[in-house]
Amino acid sequence: MTRLNNLRGRVAWVFEEDDYDIDLIVGVRNIKITDLQELAGLVLADQAPGFAATVQRGDLLVGGRNFGYGHPHYPAMRAMRHLGVAGVVAESFSPGFFRGEISMGFPLVTCPGILGAARRGDLIEVDWSAQQVHLPTQGRALPIEPLGASERGTLEAGGLIPYLKARLARAPATPGAPHD
Amino acid sequence: MTTSSKRVPQTMTEKILARCSGRDSVRPGDEIEARPDVVISYDFPGYTDVFFKEAREEFGVEKVSSPERYVLFIDHMVPAASPKEEELHRGTRAWGAAQGVPVHERKGIGHQVSAELGYATPGAFLVHFDGHVSQLGAFGAYAFGARKGVLEAYVSETIALRVPPTVKVVLTGALQPGVMARDVFHHMVRVMGPSSCAFKAVELAGPVIDAMSVEGRQTLCGQAMFLGATTMLVAPDARTREWLQGRACLDVPAVQPDEDAVYERVVTVDVSALQPIVVVPPSPANTRDLSEHVGLAVHAGYLGSCASGRLEDLRIAAQVLRGRQIQPGFQLHVVPTSQAIMAQAAREGLIETLVEAGAFISSPTCDYCYGRIATMADGQRAVSTGTLNTPGRMGSVDSEIYLCNAAVVAASALEGCIADPRPYLEAVA
Repeated sequence: MTRLNNLRGRVAWVFEEDDYDIDLIVGVRNIKITDLQELAGLVLADQAPGFAATVQRGDLLVGGRNFGYGHPHYPAMRAMRHLGVAGVVAESFSPGFFRGEISMGFPLVTCPGILGAARRGDLIEVDWSAQQVHLPTQGRALPIEPLGASERGTLEAGGLIPYLKARLARAPATPGAPHD
Repeated sequence: MTTSSKRVPQTMTEKILARCSGRDSVRPGDEIEARPDVVISYDFPGYTDVFFKEAREEFGVEKVSSPERYVLFIDHMVPAASPKEEELHRGTRAWGAAQGVPVHERKGIGHQVSAELGYATPGAFLVHFDGHVSQLGAFGAYAFGARKGVLEAYVSETIALRVPPTVKVVLTGALQPGVMARDVFHHMVRVMGPSSCAFKAVELAGPVIDAMSVEGRQTLCGQAMFLGATTMLVAPDARTREWLQGRACLDVPAVQPDEDAVYERVVTVDVSALQPIVVVPPSPANTRDLSEHVGLAVHAGYLGSCASGRLEDLRIAAQVLRGRQIQPGFQLHVVPTSQAIMAQAAREGLIETLVEAGAFISSPTCDYCYGRIATMADGQRAVSTGTLNTPGRMGSVDSEIYLCNAAVVAASALEGCIADPRPYLEAVA
């Protein structure tokens, strides 16, 4: 079993609002757009024109409590991934959003205290083995909440499809079977 | 018979998930693989069409095992408005026919029709892509929106999940006239907080639930996600059994919570003083008293959705509108949640009343909820019994949605502004 790679990048954006509805990232009017290039160009266009050009591969997003509240449609994070965003570190997540994005192999890191600690442009590192988020710019480290076994397995595999393939290859799933 | 020394007191959630994972008992946090009794889906671009494709191409699943465990609904894009939409539906019908999986089309919104078809059997474990399936918890089922995880249920017998902690919410007091289940739910969000039940199951109890119709319970349970909850359940009672008479179609043991079940938290919410509410944009977390917004001009009204387009909603709207005319230029759309509800509403004369008042009535569809039909233009404002008030949900991102109960929608249609329905209801009484 592979281990999770640590995440290291800059804080590309801080969503300060609690209960942030991620549809607002691309705008509800745009959530049916399937062209990723087009969608990526619309990310945060209302809040920060030109945002897309500022993102570097490996950058992370920071969010508040219950990030992903509402109907957790996929276009916002698909667009973010296309720009190179590697994950979200938030105070907490809404369950539907959490389950949906983890299934895409996209790391979501629950880290109470992150909102008050991280600023846009800061370096940020998620250290899975130490179960910490490091903020070297601020000289701080904060503990993260552990993932469940299937969540971790899904991230390690790179998403639900490879995870399921590996699981089904080991043993056809049967009710009650333990799984790692 | 289990010996008392071994007996583990459990919530309904724990009992259902224990049965479906082949265990005697489960605890919050346990990682389990549970076998859904039924996998419910609706066809929508990017959902089922992708699952069908991925199941076949990625996993080599030509046929789902035990097709009787699957059901499909065509309830979005109904009727189709383009060849592409109809092509999607054609694909869904063909997949269902090839697999031996039933496809229910034009019968109504799937979450409601699932209940009418008896899938919401007390004690059942049901999964769907969509979180609003939680409304089947009104019948004592554990119904869970697994998002992409539904693919797992298409390619294996089971779905992996962590057993959630259970929060018990006891609703005390009695509802005042003009106050509906819808108001109760949004009041819960207001007093408990929109993430208060994150990653938890909620079990509802108390005198308000005991006195509440099955429909009202569906309204409450269907909105569970806006408390952060994975699902919401009501213990089956005589009212449930009466509703399900001749309908329940699964052979599973009904469950009740043990009296000594361990809840993560027990919250009591008193609704005695509750007044009608309105949920202001841009978030379903923004519950306000209706009185704060009475008089605000509105241009459209939507009475429908999986949350609130059932008979009690149509009946109260008809009470408000009977013998009156809605404001000229106001667009009132009334969309019964299912064909069965629409037929009953017709038998009761409700459709006639609503039409005579100036309402536009449509056959059931999900399409009003997300603005595919009755799209709003810039600067317009709606009162709605839909599920969500995010800007752009019903058209232009520069339009606004105020969520409220069905009586408020009806009264607002009469006045052309957000209005208190209670004077109209008193006039009827």
